[in-house]
Amino acid sequence: MRKRQIAVAFGFALSLTGMAHAVAAGIDDPRRADYFKTFEGKTIAFVPVTMGIDLTEGWAAVMKKQADRLGMKFEIRDPHFSADAGAQAITSLIAEKPDVLVVHNPDVQSYAKLLKRAEEAGIHVVQINMRSNYNSDVYVGADWIGIGEAEAQAIVDKCGAGTSGKVAILQGQPTSGSDSGMMKGADNVFSKHPEIKVVANQAGEWDATKAHSVISTVIQQNPDLCGVVGFWDVMDLGAAAAIKESGKPIALVTSGGGEQMACDNVEKGVFEKEIAYQVMDQGRDLNDMIVTVLESGQQPGKLKAVVYSPQLVISKDTLRPGLCWSSKDLKK
Amino acid sequence: MTIGEWAARLRYRYVPDHVVGEVLGRRWMDNVIPVTLLIALAIFLATAIPNFTAVGNISDIARQIGELGLIVVGLTIVMLAGGIDLSVGSNFALANVTALTLINVAQWPIEAAIAATIGVGALVGLVNGFLVGFLRLRAFLTTLVTLTLIRAVVDLLLEVYSVRIATGTVDSSLWDFVGAGSILGVPFSFVLLIVIAIAGHFVLTRLRVGWRIMAVGGSRRAAYNAGISVPRTVCLTYVVSGILSALAGTLYASRLSGAGPDTGIGLELTAITAALIGGNSVGGGRGSVGKALMGTIIVSLLMNGLVRLGLQNGASSMVIGAVLLMAIAIDVRWTRWRQSLRAKVYVSPGYLALPRAPLFVSDPSSPYAMNDRLRDVEVIGLGEVDGPEDVILDPDGNLYCSVRQGDIVRFLAPDYVEREVYAHVGGRPLGMAFDKDGGLVVCIGGMGLYRVDKLRKVQKITAETNRSRLSIIDDSRMRLADDLDIAPDGKVYFSEATIRYGFEEWVVDALEGRGNGRIIRYDPTTGVTRTILRNLLFANGVCMAHDNKSFLFAETWACRISRYWLEGLKEGTTEVVIADLPGYPDNINRGSRGTYWLGLAGTRTPSYDMAMTMPAFRRRMARRVAGDEWLFPNVNVGCVVHFDEKGGVIETLWDGSGDNHPAITSMREHRGYLYLGGVTNNRIGRIKLADVDPDWTGPASYWGESCWGTRR
Repeated sequence: MRKRQIAVAFGFALSLTGMAHAVAAGIDDPRRADYFKTFEGKTIAFVPVTMGIDLTEGWAAVMKKQADRLGMKFEIRDPHFSADAGAQAITSLIAEKPDVLVVHNPDVQSYAKLLKRAEEAGIHVVQINMRSNYNSDVYVGADWIGIGEAEAQAIVDKCGAGTSGKVAILQGQPTSGSDSGMMKGADNVFSKHPEIKVVANQAGEWDATKAHSVISTVIQQNPDLCGVVGFWDVMDLGAAAAIKESGKPIALVTSGGGEQMACDNVEKGVFEKEIAYQVMDQGRDLNDMIVTVLESGQQPGKLKAVVYSPQLVISKDTLRPGLCWSSKDLKK
Repeated sequence: MTIGEWAARLRYRYVPDHVVGEVLGRRWMDNVIPVTLLIALAIFLATAIPNFTAVGNISDIARQIGELGLIVVGLTIVMLAGGIDLSVGSNFALANVTALTLINVAQWPIEAAIAATIGVGALVGLVNGFLVGFLRLRAFLTTLVTLTLIRAVVDLLLEVYSVRIATGTVDSSLWDFVGAGSILGVPFSFVLLIVIAIAGHFVLTRLRVGWRIMAVGGSRRAAYNAGISVPRTVCLTYVVSGILSALAGTLYASRLSGAGPDTGIGLELTAITAALIGGNSVGGGRGSVGKALMGTIIVSLLMNGLVRLGLQNGASSMVIGAVLLMAIAIDVRWTRWRQSLRAKVYVSPGYLALPRAPLFVSDPSSPYAMNDRLRDVEVIGLGEVDGPEDVILDPDGNLYCSVRQGDIVRFLAPDYVEREVYAHVGGRPLGMAFDKDGGLVVCIGGMGLYRVDKLRKVQKITAETNRSRLSIIDDSRMRLADDLDIAPDGKVYFSEATIRYGFEEWVVDALEGRGNGRIIRYDPTTGVTRTILRNLLFANGVCMAHDNKSFLFAETWACRISRYWLEGLKEGTTEVVIADLPGYPDNINRGSRGTYWLGLAGTRTPSYDMAMTMPAFRRRMARRVAGDEWLFPNVNVGCVVHFDEKGGVIETLWDGSGDNHPAITSMREHRGYLYLGGVTNNRIGRIKLADVDPDWTGPASYWGESCWGTRR
């Protein structure tokens, strides 16, 4: 008996507060419902070069967060560094018809025909960081030529007069969208600096072990090596190890996703400098462009938008807490 | 008959125990596991992945199967010859780079570029083949080295050309067709694979070179001894593998145009997995192109399914690795298990109740009563012949016998001292008969029916009959042709003792006591061989009746003589002539004055007769006891039985002392003498007969007094 009385009193009090809110009613946004409806049930498919590295894990985490928020399905097909498996994944995705296909190209050629086919099949194709020869709806990623120029300039500053001027270039994979750009940027700078001698230009295939063997060989052949231009920080850790083993003061400039590892290594002096593209920001850009292509209602293949990520220079001068992002936080 | 006996008889007549062992012995049993796996995998993927069975996806999988399949077919051919080619992945990558460099950079015409690429692949194969085949290096290590070497070459080429490949573009409809075209909706690469697979299957199963490859894989030494050039054959398989890898690489190049360093890495493992899971043997000699295709489809479905299931880093490699382990385990265990199980269940005894045997020891009034009439036999060729199963004489009195070494040995009349090998026919020659041209027609165990003409040229007459519809083992091949006779129209009627065992395993057939034998007719006018009587209990001697309207035949384990009518009212029917012989009948031959001679290779014993009504006991014995400890039918003491047209026994000739002719498998009457042969004897016997026509000869009885220009 007593309980019921309390319940009634409580209900009455509630209804009073409700009335109070009704008095302060806001204005509905007419586009809000449409906005959420646009994304409900859509599918985003992501084909990285591989998972398990800071870049792809970072992008995937950011995209997944938005997909969950907007009620979209987010799928990852991981070809694990195999262009063939990646091509298989894209081929089967074309049959499955997701709404947006986010592709991280291993090189400029392998997926080009497939991406064209995907857009013809009505799938928006967003290319992230490593472009292909086929220009799809959107490219989000680093301005590689700019990064190449910045890296080369950093080495020119370090290996100018008074040094041997000998420089090694450690590419990832020469046919990738990133390397072709960075090579162009490096050429742009080095061609104006005859004092710089490029003594080696080899590919480490994104593999730290291979990078280690390449750079230790180069150091043996050129004991007076002054600097190394590395194309990806994760791989360049191998080069850094080779430099450390040689005990020589060789400057290593790199580029990468600006993960905490980069800041730590710049602090320790392992990297002279990292020209970074911030993965979290790129993820945001990806999300915005995914939203844009879906909202636009346009046929795939019409847009041809390019979103270059701003450069972030990580060096001893710029270091500060919070400059880098941490992949450990992705899970939180 | 008790109810128990009646039930046992029914059970052993209608339950086909022998089928299990025969099914396990078939070569297509190798395919059971891959086919099951394929079906299970297909069902799983079709239910687990939406759209998996969509036309588009199937078509895409087919395109990938095309590339992998070519490599697997090449690898399978290498494995069939007993080798392994680990360099396929590198060779594939090399072909990819070569094709792309020639087309994108050097701007070669597409056809020329493809031809050059395949040439490069063949060259790599030739290097492997030369090292493994001619220098006899270990295949595994050699191709492991070429794998690394070619990979290094690919890396060097990539360093020089990769950027230019990536920037070069090709505008060729042919090149696009190779990479993305379809024929009637089927991807080009899959069509190409099917064409090559069919060609490969034809070569392996129908052409000499294919048989040589299988032979080398089966046993290198035996192939070498047979005169096959082992180095050349082995080398050839690597060249084929190189060509097919290059072809696959070309397809890949046209599909993706990507000169990535990861191309073809680990492909050898995938290809080996496919080849093995399809049921090809690692050791060589066992396998087929069909198995390669099946393995390819399994692995491709699996890989496609794994990518589509969205498995994380490395998980797919792990699954492929697990499948490879499983394939190796199956290859080893399943084959062995199957063989041992087959050995256990192949022997399937039947129920056989023989009529009571006449008393030949204790009853002196029996026509079979033992005597010593063969004691004074003259011995011919003592120690010079090994197991003369059959003996026969020509009109001039020369004596021929079929011996264990695969020879027809002739002793020359009149004294039978001079001995010569009349002809070497091979196999185990058994029954013999002269045809109307004087050719000696011979049943050869393990080979079939052969003829030795008067110029001693050996010719095959037939080795194959019509296959029974429901038989699981291939009963069209003759395993144990035993005895024959020839009708006036030239038709040859001959017995095949058993279709389940070879000559050396006759005792196992005895243990089974089921009707595994048959009578076959060969018609020389049409050249057609047909089985006319089946399910006989060790069909043995065959003899045309004197009037040629029927022939008599012996069933050894049934201890009976039957007659098969060739014409007249009873045409096509069989009737029993002697139902209850005291022993195991072998050859039947004509005698003078309308009689017949029958050799009993051994006599029945009560214990063995009883065992024949206890199939379960015999099965247990066959499984649990070593072969030489088995209960054997008695083939130590036999005799010669002389009987008339109606089956009435006229006389019996025994060798009571057992010195010369205890067991007799054949005998021929000739001019008043009886010549005796025995399958385990080392001599031929001759004994003078009383109460016979002293001028009677076999050839004259069959072909007339003036047959084939006899001298008389």
